[in-house]
Amino acid sequence: MEPEAEATPVVEMRNIKKNFAAVQALKGVDLVLRHGEVLGLVGDNAAGKSTLMKVLSGAYIPEEGEILIEGKKEHLTDPLHARRLGIEMVYQDLALANNLDVTSNVFLGRETASTHLGAFSVLDSRHMEQEAQRLLDRLKIDIPSVRLLVERLSGGQRQAVAIARTMAFNSKVIIMDEPTAALSVAAISKVLDLVRELKAQGASIIIISHRLEDIYSVSDRLMVMRNGRKVRDCPITGNIDDFRERVVAYMIGARDDFAAIAAN
Amino acid sequence: MSFKDFLKAQQHNIREYGMYIAFVVIVIFFAITTKGLFVSSRNIGNLVNAMSYIAVLAVGMTLVIVIRHIDLSVGYLAGFLGAIAAIALKYWHLPLYAIFPMVLALGVCAGLLTAFLVAQMKIPAFVATLAGWLGFRGALQLATRSTGTIVIENDFFNALGNGFIPDIKGIAILPGIHKVTLLLGVLAIILFIIGEINNRKKTQAYHFEVPTMNMFILKLVFISAVIAGITWVLAGYQGLSWAAVILLFVVLLFSYITTKTVIGRHIYAVGGNPEAAELNGISVKKITFIVFGSMGLLTALSGILYASWLRSATTIAGAGMEFDAIAAAFVGGVAVAGGVGKVTGSILGALVMASLTNGMNLLGWDISIQYIVRAAVLVAAVIFDVATRNKGKS
Repeated sequence: MEPEAEATPVVEMRNIKKNFAAVQALKGVDLVLRHGEVLGLVGDNAAGKSTLMKVLSGAYIPEEGEILIEGKKEHLTDPLHARRLGIEMVYQDLALANNLDVTSNVFLGRETASTHLGAFSVLDSRHMEQEAQRLLDRLKIDIPSVRLLVERLSGGQRQAVAIARTMAFNSKVIIMDEPTAALSVAAISKVLDLVRELKAQGASIIIISHRLEDIYSVSDRLMVMRNGRKVRDCPITGNIDDFRERVVAYMIGARDDFAAIAAN
Repeated sequence: MSFKDFLKAQQHNIREYGMYIAFVVIVIFFAITTKGLFVSSRNIGNLVNAMSYIAVLAVGMTLVIVIRHIDLSVGYLAGFLGAIAAIALKYWHLPLYAIFPMVLALGVCAGLLTAFLVAQMKIPAFVATLAGWLGFRGALQLATRSTGTIVIENDFFNALGNGFIPDIKGIAILPGIHKVTLLLGVLAIILFIIGEINNRKKTQAYHFEVPTMNMFILKLVFISAVIAGITWVLAGYQGLSWAAVILLFVVLLFSYITTKTVIGRHIYAVGGNPEAAELNGISVKKITFIVFGSMGLLTALSGILYASWLRSATTIAGAGMEFDAIAAAFVGGVAVAGGVGKVTGSILGALVMASLTNGMNLLGWDISIQYIVRAAVLVAAVIFDVATRNKGKS
């Protein structure tokens, strides 16, 4: 990796604060995501991890703090704006249209047209099918045909389509919200392979998960949140049992690396 | 791709073929029981004219149901707009070239008003359009209060619902056969074959699988034969009616928009998962306005066709037409839950329902029995639909 790229993180969030009425959901959170890195984001329910990701994906606008994308300060106004900047989100409920085929879902809202007449532009279906097939091949996703309706796919295949979609358009950052929840063991391992494949192809990824073993197996670095604050930020090391024990200690509040900063 | 996967991919087609088969069975049944009267040129011509205004509504209703809404107001709106057209013609003495755009524009406005209530004010479509059903009924009565039934005497206007396209005079060959209709039929077959061959070539160029050559030729021959058969039957009476031409145009246009354009893709995406569509940058609100707007446009067209077919605007015009259109859509495979259903399917549904009515009338069946038979067909079609849909789920 180039030294410059190492120096400028792809995402930097500084002192993000977000309130919902009287509740302080985020109390000044910093987050750094480097190029080609997988960051695991964990925390108990209501720790603020989803809120933080919604800030990064443009769904929420923070009261305070700044967001830098490739070192450039950006004011994200809505999810489409974030997407134009290359920040893609894989939602927990996948946001797929089950009545449409794989190709249509990959290109949903970003269809390729062969003529340009605004809303009445004519779809370039064959081109999109070809691109969708290439995408699946490139990511080694096993789906028999891009013409299959999504409602005919298994849970793991749907998750794969939702993830693959983010790679169809030069995205810089992919945020995954619980990508392995509600999947079978075999499907989970395929999704994790897919995450590794994305990383190998240069994507920078943030994964939210309750399954610590998944975070352990694919992430480079871990960030733990609790009560709207970051309490731990470190590379992933050691064996899985020690890792789990330590992470849980941070999640339940027994340990806190940033207590001194929070007190100031 | 394994055979099982192939079957899975074909699932929605099987559902569609089922409908075509059912239609063919109905046609054959009536052809035999009426001793050929049902498939006579004259009867088929009348049948198409009598179903056209419902079919036009069914096209719009398909889109409305696909985006998970319903429109109960279209019957009386069509009646009201037909009355406006008749009044403009007879009492305001407006020329037809002013009346048609005006009535169509009024239809679009009415549709946009419904869309405003549904998309902006967040009123369930059932309630919003129930209000429309009441309101337009009142408007129709108000408009026709002083006049009662308005008889339309404009030949051009009446030709839309009753007239036939002109024929070339003075050709000796094939006496009694409508030559222009035959010519159009031949043209349609040629265009269809060229289109299919081009499509196949392009698909092959992208290295996607295509049906085998035999299957492809079988399909070409079958559909060409169907077009040829219909053309021959129609040409045997007075040829293609204007109503049929208008209906064909509407079907081709909306079929194209729904299957080939970005907006069509977005309509189905909104129907399948509105939240997902919104997250992917598709404005559900915009789609709602477009769909109800086009429903309004088609309702106006339906109202004109109906008034023209009756050669008059009556005080109760349009009553119950909304339910005929909804039934046609459901028989044609549109899913109640939204997201699924084709324009061509709904047309087939309208054709099935119109054929039933027509055939049973020819047989002299009691009207009460007719309603019960149509009820059974509606339920059977939806049961078939639900059954084939669930079987495909893994």
